[in-house]
Amino acid sequence: MSEMNIIETQNLTKTYGDFTAVSHLNLHIKKGSVYGFLGPNGAGKSTTMKMLLGLAKPTSGSFHINRKSYPKDRIAILRDMGSFIEAPAFYGNLTGEENLEILRRILQLPKSAVADALELTGLTEHRKRQAKKYSLGMKQRLGLAGALLGHPPILILDEPTNGLDPIGIHEIRTLVRSLPEKYDCTVLVSSHLLPEVELMADDFGILNHGRLLFEGTMDALKRTAENAGLPTYNLEETFLSLIDMDNRNRGERI
Amino acid sequence: MSGTRVPFLQPFLETRKLRRTGFCPAFLGGGLLGALVPAVNMAVRAESFTSQSGSPFRILMDANWQLMAQLNIFLVVCGACILYHTEYADNGIQKARSLPMRPLCLFLGKLTILAVSCLLPLCIEALSLLLCRAHWFSDSAGAGRQLLAGLAFELVLLLPTAAAMLFLSSMCQNMWISLGAGVILVFFSSMLPQGSAAVALMPFASPYRMLHQFSGREALWMCALCLGEVLLFCAAERIYHNIRRCFS
Repeated sequence: MSEMNIIETQNLTKTYGDFTAVSHLNLHIKKGSVYGFLGPNGAGKSTTMKMLLGLAKPTSGSFHINRKSYPKDRIAILRDMGSFIEAPAFYGNLTGEENLEILRRILQLPKSAVADALELTGLTEHRKRQAKKYSLGMKQRLGLAGALLGHPPILILDEPTNGLDPIGIHEIRTLVRSLPEKYDCTVLVSSHLLPEVELMADDFGILNHGRLLFEGTMDALKRTAENAGLPTYNLEETFLSLIDMDNRNRGERI
Repeated sequence: MSGTRVPFLQPFLETRKLRRTGFCPAFLGGGLLGALVPAVNMAVRAESFTSQSGSPFRILMDANWQLMAQLNIFLVVCGACILYHTEYADNGIQKARSLPMRPLCLFLGKLTILAVSCLLPLCIEALSLLLCRAHWFSDSAGAGRQLLAGLAFELVLLLPTAAAMLFLSSMCQNMWISLGAGVILVFFSSMLPQGSAAVALMPFASPYRMLHQFSGREALWMCALCLGEVLLFCAAERIYHNIRRCFS
């Protein structure tokens, strides 16, 4: 495992029967960076994130996180990670504050961690309200607060801006962007909002049908796209062309 | 960021998750309902029981325990469903599974809560039996000791049902499925032949047994086997968790 990378996967594969959700994935996520994980629906982004969190068992391959290997150091790996997968996960019968309090006790964090996370996600005012009565945006913020609790060294965020209004999206983008500098945190973030990811990520990984099509910086992506004769005006154009090209090649292969 | 496996903290955390779920009122209400059974039965036909010879406690148990046990089993079914419904309703379980703790901790925490909660209806019912005995029967020698032994025995006999029902609830994301399956099992178990030793050990059927039906040695064996069943369900939950991760 390279010293620079905090997350590395080696031929990570997940299959369900004869369907391959993730195929021989080799990710290299640098410490202290924001890594934008892109791909169309069903590309395997969430499955990859679930495998990194131990929620799904890899069919083959391995990964290392913060110099710890899975599955041997599963508990130690989870200790280093805050996560938000697919949709906000919480206890609807509890208030926002009570939800975070449970997480705080499990993670054995100081009492101030809850107030800190609520403040960071703008939920302080609504902390006494039952979580099931939150709006979608507030539930999303609660999920984020849970992930950010205690400032873990690694954050895994799957579509963190889903359901947020433009102001909320801007706030979350600014927050995610600031995390590496503020808390020496590494962020793996997936999103369908390509302009948002373009603004927040240092490195990108583009996934299609479970295979990693590209990994690297925005400049490297532009160079790759130029060499392949694809448009490079913005990330969205490049992304769409790259996926389209892969789908056509895939059709030919099949 | 520090973390822990929190095995001993888990039951305490589980109680915090139960706020506003109706879990405690359900057990309190269920206990009171169970306590009404001997009181109403005695109030309506006291002579049929007071005319019988033998230990008053045994007479009361023989006359009322089948219905009281059925209520207790139903309460365990509802309790297990509530415990896992809080996890599945808003996907809290996904967050719990991504925290640095052993997967079985969640199950064990809930099992502890359910076992401790069963004490509440059992105590209320025991109190009701004690009051019935004091009010309608003159002989009250050794009542306290008999009652405590009976209470402990019935609690141990409820544990396999609690573990089985929690295992079932942990598998069903939809609470109505686990509740429906639980209710079917409650009624199915009440139809099984009562004399069979194998049936006596089955979850959902074992709580119908009473301490006075067994010799001291048999009662100890019964308790040991029930605790063994609990361990089996814990192992089953562990295996299920590993299998589920392969398909999720």
